[in-house]
Amino acid sequence: MATSLVRQTKLLSIVSSQLNPAACFRNIHCTAACLKNRAARIREGKGDKSVTYEQAYHPHHIGHRKGWLSQHTSNLQGEDGAAERVVEDVFIRRFMYGTFHGCLADEVVIKRRGNLLVICAVMIQKLLPSKFYFLIGYTEELLSHFYKCPVKIEMQTVEEKVVYKYL
Amino acid sequence: MASSCSQALKQHVCKSSTILRVHLQKSWPKRSFVLNSAADQQPAVSSPEEIVIPKKKTWSKEAVLQALASTVSRDPTASDYRLQDDPYLTPKTSSEFKLFSLSQESGKNAAKYFINTYPKYFQKDYAQPHIPCLMPETLEAQIEEVSEAALIERIHMRKVKAAVDLYDQLQQAGTPVSLDVTNQLLDLICFYGDSDPAQENVPEQRNEETVGKVQHRVENNNAERIFALLSEPNTHSYSALIRGMVKYGAYSKAFSTYTDLLNNRLKADVNTFNALITAAPEVKEKYNEKWELIVELAEQKIKPNLLTLNGVLKALRRCGTLGKSQAFPVLSEMKALSIDPSLASYNHLLGIFYKPGAPFLGQTDILQEVMNEVSGKSFTPQDPDDGICLLLQRCLLTKAYSVHELLGVGENWRLLGNDLQQNIYYARFFSLLCMMENIDVMLKWYRDLVPSVYYPSSNIMRDLLQALDTDNRLDLIPQIWKGDRGKVIMSWTATSLSDVISVLLAAQRRQDAWEILKLFKTHNRVPSEELLNKFLTCVTESGEVNHAVELVQISAAWLLWQP
Repeated sequence: MATSLVRQTKLLSIVSSQLNPAACFRNIHCTAACLKNRAARIREGKGDKSVTYEQAYHPHHIGHRKGWLSQHTSNLQGEDGAAERVVEDVFIRRFMYGTFHGCLADEVVIKRRGNLLVICAVMIQKLLPSKFYFLIGYTEELLSHFYKCPVKIEMQTVEEKVVYKYL
Repeated sequence: MASSCSQALKQHVCKSSTILRVHLQKSWPKRSFVLNSAADQQPAVSSPEEIVIPKKKTWSKEAVLQALASTVSRDPTASDYRLQDDPYLTPKTSSEFKLFSLSQESGKNAAKYFINTYPKYFQKDYAQPHIPCLMPETLEAQIEEVSEAALIERIHMRKVKAAVDLYDQLQQAGTPVSLDVTNQLLDLICFYGDSDPAQENVPEQRNEETVGKVQHRVENNNAERIFALLSEPNTHSYSALIRGMVKYGAYSKAFSTYTDLLNNRLKADVNTFNALITAAPEVKEKYNEKWELIVELAEQKIKPNLLTLNGVLKALRRCGTLGKSQAFPVLSEMKALSIDPSLASYNHLLGIFYKPGAPFLGQTDILQEVMNEVSGKSFTPQDPDDGICLLLQRCLLTKAYSVHELLGVGENWRLLGNDLQQNIYYARFFSLLCMMENIDVMLKWYRDLVPSVYYPSSNIMRDLLQALDTDNRLDLIPQIWKGDRGKVIMSWTATSLSDVISVLLAAQRRQDAWEILKLFKTHNRVPSEELLNKFLTCVTESGEVNHAVELVQISAAWLLWQP
């Protein structure tokens, strides 16, 4: 259906250009709206919204002032599986957000080394250490069995969310 | 003249040592403990080894990993590998360590429960090659019909109750069950004591012993019942029954079953004898009767194994003087049968000779010889009693270092035992160090072992502080205390506060002592009179009049000082 639409628009543009040679080309926009200039940006507000370092810098700062949240080799030349990695990452982030509910201080960083999946998370000291360990054991075991690869969690705790600035 | 004298002396010494050696070798014929004096030892003549280069060498799959692992030694600043590397998530005491590792295990069990209850979500197999341990476990028996194959399957899956029920069903249906399968069933029941085995993942549950003792009555009913149903029980069935009885404490029944076995003119095998030897100390009172069993074993020409040796040595511990005289002959006979003693045998040997509370004179040579035998060797755990912890308990300091070195050899770290035994081992090691060594060595070991391997308990800390006190190195307290502090919530008691103040006064830190004194008021505690006196003398020495006056006022407020 998408290919036929593209062909139709091409056809339409060819027809219209032939009909009206001096007119500028007007094409139909037929893809879904991406809003690439609004993604992952927190806009400036009144000055009462606290924002972490990760949230304060916009996506064009990745590689300059920010690092990558997900590290794997699928995006290199000749490697495949990038799409599967993205889907896994999305699932893992939702899983961590739900399991450690209210405890996450910042985005989860996912690193893949060979077969090993390392989930690095910064948590607020909201729960007792024994409860943290229970959830760590549960997450590691469940995700290992789900993805058939060893999963390790590296956790760091802070007293409260680290604020970078107020927007 | 002096040289000829010394020569004569040397000859005399040589002669007497050779006489002694010959004499000893006559009475203990095959002992391999080294008894030669240094002068007598000849240099070992070894043929030069030829280096043969093989054409092709195959490595195991983990060879690279093992080689990499051998380059890294233990990191003394890191905590246990199971824990997270964060100050909030690091335990400060051994009970916290246990709590955290147990909660992690229970999280794993919770996940396993979900995985095994809803296996359809975990069936997709991404891994190449296939990793079987990451697939959901099939815990239900597949074969449903009442047949021998189903019984075998349940035995393999260690489902004791289900297997027994199925056996009964088979008997009622009239299907004959072969002797082999019945023997396997008997083995299963006698090993697990007629209850389903507890989950293997649940670590360190202390209830097993109580459960075992309660269950043995029920166990006897089932196992004995099935045994009685057998038309011709063979050696295997008898041995299973006897071992089960001994395991669960029915010692006298075990012996009566043994006499049944003899009456049926069957021969017992070495495992049965091992079980009976372990049971013998409980049942027979006289030392000589316990010995009869060994004689019977020899008569039936059954080859003993390592467990026999250890069982005999363990029984000899309770035999008193008979034990001491028989221990070495037993050891030498076993050596003749090429059974190498394990760590447990050495433990039992030391237990025979070192009774607690007995005087120590003249017995250190046995310990020395054991240590000579044991040092530099790599042991594998072969007996449930193997454990380095017990060896350390008997040692004095010099031996303690050699025992600790033993831990570094090869695979010996496995012999350290579970967490409790590890704790005991390190507690003993530390107390020996506190008593015997000077403070720098002590601190070096402290920094090496704490907190990565061992969490010192309060009495060890007390010993440590005492050692610091006697050595007048109180300035080292902050180093240790900083490592320990964290978020320790302590409630100040009067004695602890006064101890702290006296320590600070001894270290001439009057300002800090002053602060602590104020804490008395805030925590509603009253200092002792002698503490205030000490403080007063200290203050008058330094000549600070204001402080002295304040002190007097404070003590008047507490009605301690009568003018």
